Amino acid sequence: MHTKRFHSSESMEIELVEIRDFLAQRPPFDVLPEEQLNQLPKILDIRYLRRGSDFPPPESEQSYIYILRSGAIELLDEEDKLVEKLGEGGVYTTDCQLIDFGRAIRGEATEDTLLYQIPCSHLKVMRQAEPAFDRHFSESIRDRLKQAVRMLQDNGDNSSIAQMTVEISHLLKKAPITADVSSTIREAAQLMSEKNVSSVMLMDGEKLAGMITDRDLRKRCVAAGVSPDEPVTSIMTSDLETIQENTLAFQALMTMTRLHVHHLPVMRNDNVIGMLTATDLARHQTTNSAFLATDVRKAETLQDLANVSERLPDLQFQLANSSATALHVGEAISSITDSLTVRLIELAEEKLGPPPVPYVWMCGGSQARGEQTSHSDQDNALLISDEMKPEHTAYFEALAQQVNDGLNACNFVYCPGDAMASNIKWRQPLSVWKKYFNTWINKPDPMALMLSSIFFDLRPVHGEKELFLELQTEILSKTRGNGIFTAFMASNALQHRPPLGFFRTFVLIHDGAHDDTFDIKHRGIVPITDIARVFALNQGLKPVNTTERLLAAAETSVLSREMGENLVDALEFIASMRINHQAEQIRKGMQPDNYLAPDELSDLERRHLKDAFRVIQDMQETMENRYQGGRFR
Amino acid sequence: MLQRFLSQETIRKRALSKVSEGALHEYLSTPLTSKKVQCEELVIVSLDLETTGLDPKRDKILSYGLVEIRHMMIKLETSRHQLISIDEEIPEESAVIHQITDDQAATGIPIEEALPELLERLAGKVMLVHYSAIEQNFINAACKKIYGAPFIIPIIDTLVLARQLFERRNHTIQAGNLRLFNLRPRYNLPNYKAHNALSDALATAELFLAMASEMFPQPSKCQLSRFLSR
Repeated sequence: MHTKRFHSSESMEIELVEIRDFLAQRPPFDVLPEEQLNQLPKILDIRYLRRGSDFPPPESEQSYIYILRSGAIELLDEEDKLVEKLGEGGVYTTDCQLIDFGRAIRGEATEDTLLYQIPCSHLKVMRQAEPAFDRHFSESIRDRLKQAVRMLQDNGDNSSIAQMTVEISHLLKKAPITADVSSTIREAAQLMSEKNVSSVMLMDGEKLAGMITDRDLRKRCVAAGVSPDEPVTSIMTSDLETIQENTLAFQALMTMTRLHVHHLPVMRNDNVIGMLTATDLARHQTTNSAFLATDVRKAETLQDLANVSERLPDLQFQLANSSATALHVGEAISSITDSLTVRLIELAEEKLGPPPVPYVWMCGGSQARGEQTSHSDQDNALLISDEMKPEHTAYFEALAQQVNDGLNACNFVYCPGDAMASNIKWRQPLSVWKKYFNTWINKPDPMALMLSSIFFDLRPVHGEKELFLELQTEILSKTRGNGIFTAFMASNALQHRPPLGFFRTFVLIHDGAHDDTFDIKHRGIVPITDIARVFALNQGLKPVNTTERLLAAAETSVLSREMGENLVDALEFIASMRINHQAEQIRKGMQPDNYLAPDELSDLERRHLKDAFRVIQDMQETMENRYQGGRFR
Repeated sequence: MLQRFLSQETIRKRALSKVSEGALHEYLSTPLTSKKVQCEELVIVSLDLETTGLDPKRDKILSYGLVEIRHMMIKLETSRHQLISIDEEIPEESAVIHQITDDQAATGIPIEEALPELLERLAGKVMLVHYSAIEQNFINAACKKIYGAPFIIPIIDTLVLARQLFERRNHTIQAGNLRLFNLRPRYNLPNYKAHNALSDALATAELFLAMASEMFPQPSKCQLSRFLSR
């Protein structure tokens, strides 16, 4: 073997610069440092696939990651349906991934194609060498999604924060705690305990010279065996990063995250005016939604409540920008809606008198699932005790009308399908509700399916919870293991397909629409919500929240734990995209909606979104098969 | 064809008898690749030379670039680019094409040192070039001058293959049609901006893979004999 000698040749890099540059422009290679990039051309194999050839090339001895230098490849599922189309720069990593989706994919070159291939073994080496690169190749899509979600939450969007969030000067609680730079460590520490602060800034006259924190005392003094009588300068941090008082809270948070610090001196021009801590920021985030809830409870008039709800988009925006998960944003908004509803009911009861018989106010749909955004419409119903007499009708009608009107005034607009307590159909005693559900479950019809996303996701908000529990027990006992009903629900869950073909690099599969935007709610979130509902009802699970339903279902035989987690991550990613999209609209003073334009998405976001959509597609296909095979019991 | 191949083996043995030692002796001691070898089993060296001109008697080799094809895959780990120093100035008209300056050439090694490695890389393999006259004649001339014996190798010439494909389809061939960078787009191959011996060798290798897949949709039918130019 004399190849060693040729490896050591130094003159190779320049001549193959074209290949390196091609890769350098494209994710995931774009994050590789120069030296890693320079390695790439040396380990590549190149092959040519004539149009019509099978892909991946069948005669390969080992596994590779493939990069399309030119040409096009279509990936097909078992039924030869198009799953994905790779074009120039497209990367195919499936063969290097440990976890396969279990979906038999075959591929075909639809144009003459020049392929670069890198052995999986080398991919592994590169991944170990470069964490940023590794992130793109996590062993499963689950990891990729998890990481994508984390990045979304970490990054926020610099521009979307401008003007909106609070300036940090409003968060400063105390005057700056300072000591002279000539102090000893002990003196500085004594000042800190006296003032009950975790840090002190050290001044050289008017100038900020440095600071020490609790951690510095621990690590640089006590643990390092430095005497407390030493000058504080021996353990202080100089070259401080500071922020100006008009910095926005979220930017400050990003700065802290970037620098891995918990304290930032706040300046007005060149003068220290305070210290911002990570705790201050955290307190700010939580008090915001807590304040809102308090204001709701204190509200005396509809106008008060309407004023509070005006701030909901703001809350959503802030939460979206403050590393809150989409899950938490949905929960926060839904809990405020709950408070608003309760307060409206209380106000109505004050006016109408106490209820003649027990009842429970139920919410349905996204509020029940804890997945609301600030512009959701209202879905609700009244479940009344069977003791109800005909003369009580007027009372509940007035109550329902007042609450529905109130919610509408608070920007939770009337349900277009009239699924509200003010509709007499949805304001009935327990026995009638039981009959409704019996019919829906035993003779599922299109109407039942349409209502399923509202009334099969029910949660009590106010009133007699026992009534609700009785109904819920009845419902779940009828749906549990009910094959026919499940089949109907499953087919309903397949109505909304993810738009895998939406982006230019992968082609349409289920419909031919090349709209300028796509509806991320109906194409991304609703499919997962529907899937979770099928599992929950089939297994008789009580949770209503989609994530909780999926996690509970993953504990049963109906859903594998891995698939369950994949779905949870897919939902979180898609929901985060939606929340960020809406946050951006709120920032621009627009009405938030669910329509995402491809231009809004980065390459990376597209890739992750595609992964998420594939998770959904896989699950839908599995459901389709089970449902047709009658194995779904 | 059989006759020609046999005579090439005969020429090799005859040439071998003229050199008793050195790199060309080593090279000629290695049997030539049999023309019956399946494409999948072939080891092909795609080679390109940059020269000071077109006349092997007068002009000099300035650099070579090569990359191997094994199992019908281009193995970039085998790629090699070598500058060769010459004891004269590089004519301006050729420098425009290959963009090798006198300074760069000065970093190269003399042909006497470069040739042994090149021969070692080619021994027992098949040479792939676009327009074989240059590579074959220049290496042959160098071998004769340095070792006193000729250079023998089975050659695949993509220019010859292209001409055959054109003729088979009754296409009239126009000026420039058969040039490497005009042929590549026909096979959906990308444009390379760089023009040096290695990138041209790579470009030729890619073109060959494309042509082979066009000529033999079934790889099992693909055999060296179908490509040989002489």
